Amino acid sequence: MEATKSLTAPKRRFVNPACSICEDEGTVMVTVEMPGVRKEDLEIKIEGNELVILGKRPESAPEGTYLLRERRIGDFRKTFTLDESIDHEGVDGKLADGVLALTLKVKAAALPRKIAIR
Amino acid sequence: MYTNRWEPSTALDFFDSLDVFRDEMERWVEGVRSPEVRGIFDRTLTPAVDVIETRDAFVVNVDVPGVSKKDLNVTLTGTVLSIQGEKKEEEKDDKGRKFFRKETWAGGFRRTLDLPETADPEKVSADLKDGVLTVTVQKREEVKPRLIAVNVN
Repeated sequence: MEATKSLTAPKRRFVNPACSICEDEGTVMVTVEMPGVRKEDLEIKIEGNELVILGKRPESAPEGTYLLRERRIGDFRKTFTLDESIDHEGVDGKLADGVLALTLKVKAAALPRKIAIR
Repeated sequence: MYTNRWEPSTALDFFDSLDVFRDEMERWVEGVRSPEVRGIFDRTLTPAVDVIETRDAFVVNVDVPGVSKKDLNVTLTGTVLSIQGEKKEEEKDDKGRKFFRKETWAGGFRRTLDLPETADPEKVSADLKDGVLTVTVQKREEVKPRLIAVNVN
């Protein structure tokens, strides 16, 4: 019932930003491309096991007629479901040139352990 | 949703029919595909560009996330604006990395835009901010709207 309601309700248009995810030695690196988003317009939060990235874009388009329009309009939004192995505390973010680089830590318990053979 | 009655094409040629079918499919998915993507499943390989004509200038906005100033080259020859750049991958070795998803791309790109004749090649400025390149080309003085006071007696 809830699902049908949300489908018909007028939704705000969000743009799904391009992202890359990779893992390297206990850290997960997430790169999200959000051109036009300033640091103060970026909101990153963890709700339960969901990581929500919201990037607002300022309405900077000048008054005039569009001769060419390829860029998507709207704010960026991306949601990731975090795995149990991800440490919710050690999230670090860096925004430069419209690219957000997030670093997430994998819990030590989830890392492969080397077992010495006696 | 846009619906219309299916009208059988008069084209008898097989390839013409394929074109008609593809157009039909693209119109169907138009709502979900972004305009910078050609075809249905292709990915973006050039940055998206907006060209806006204002009262006295042409404003070109280009999405170039992750491209630094030194890797961008903007030239204006007459009214032809050329934006060339290179998007670099992070300078780290990829050996131990395991990619789960890769939607971002790296590499060179070039966009060439032909601006209207009214653009003044002498008055151009470019600005890179938060991954958006803005090129402003002023219009020629003679075509700018002017306010002329007319005395009515």
